[in-house]
Amino acid sequence: MSEIDALAGHRPDLQIDLVEQLRTTVERANDLLRALEGSFEATEPMVPKPAERIRELEHRLSTTDSDVKELASRLVESEHQSGRLMSLYVATYQLHATLSPPEVQATIAEIAIDLLGAQQFVLLLRREDGDDCEIALRQGLGPADRAPFSGESYAGGDKMVDATLADGLLRLGPTDDSSALAAVPLRVQHEIVGAIVLLKLLDHKPILRPEDRDLLDLLSAHAASALFAARLFAAKDRKLRTLESLVKLARGA
Amino acid sequence: MQPHKVLVVDDSKLMRKMFEVMLRQYALVYAADGREALDRLREHGDIDLILLDINMPNMTGLEFLAAMRSDPANAETRVIIISTEGREEDTARGLEAGADAYISKPFRTEQILDVISRLAASEPAAPAPEIPA
Repeated sequence: MSEIDALAGHRPDLQIDLVEQLRTTVERANDLLRALEGSFEATEPMVPKPAERIRELEHRLSTTDSDVKELASRLVESEHQSGRLMSLYVATYQLHATLSPPEVQATIAEIAIDLLGAQQFVLLLRREDGDDCEIALRQGLGPADRAPFSGESYAGGDKMVDATLADGLLRLGPTDDSSALAAVPLRVQHEIVGAIVLLKLLDHKPILRPEDRDLLDLLSAHAASALFAARLFAAKDRKLRTLESLVKLARGA
Repeated sequence: MQPHKVLVVDDSKLMRKMFEVMLRQYALVYAADGREALDRLREHGDIDLILLDINMPNMTGLEFLAAMRSDPANAETRVIIISTEGREEDTARGLEAGADAYISKPFRTEQILDVISRLAASEPAAPAPEIPA
């Protein structure tokens, strides 16, 4: 016996009614199921599946990782740049901080040794009354060392240095014609008044680095003008003292 | 702990100016040779880091180091040698003499700051405060 028979007994009208109610209920259930399926399909693309979510997070992580690396490398570069600028600022400041010729020479030597790592170098200044250059500063060289820079003056002989003294261009060596590592022209305004010649670097600094070029350019532009200003001041100061002494003597007499 | 007061011992005015610009965040005291540095140490009892050159007139950096390390009061003072003497044996000699680090000139600014930070990070623990009986 079916369940309808059990519920309606043997009354056909009630059976028909129940069947009709059952059909309606089933149809409503189907409608609800379709509606639910539609709603699920609509929301499904918005909620990523776990694998997709993991891929997306991995991608984001890798992007963040590369951003961090790039920022770190930029930070290192900017620290390096700031160090270079600091060296240039301090070198310029110190070159012009005094009007004493020995102190300016000492600063040139300190820049060459402490900032460039030079072990042997000479500072050549062109004499006003001749074609040769005075060796104003000699560092790390004995009197008999490294001809043609061994005497009191330099009269030519190193082709790279001679070319720099002639045309005012900074040259890096060594070359076939010269064992010098660098010939740095010294300018006062547009005139070439001498050169700094680097002959040997400290053992632990085998080569000039790219950033050293900035310091060489700075020496080229500032060393001679600082030294000439100091020498001019010293000469004027000497003259002034001589005149003052003469005036005193004249008054005393 | 970062150092507070730093003694710069170098006969080069250029280098003293360099440290002045580089280490603006610290209180700096200067000396031009080892003898002057000993005077500065006596005058300022609270120096916790020394940047020391080797080749100086009157008293070299290594002579100064031996003299200062012989005083137990300076046992905790950190010393960084900064010198143009850059061979391995120079470094070994400096560290044996009592320096905590050795940097050869020419240096990069970051090197100095890195070593100062490293020394600050590896600073021995401060003694425990005394508990009253």
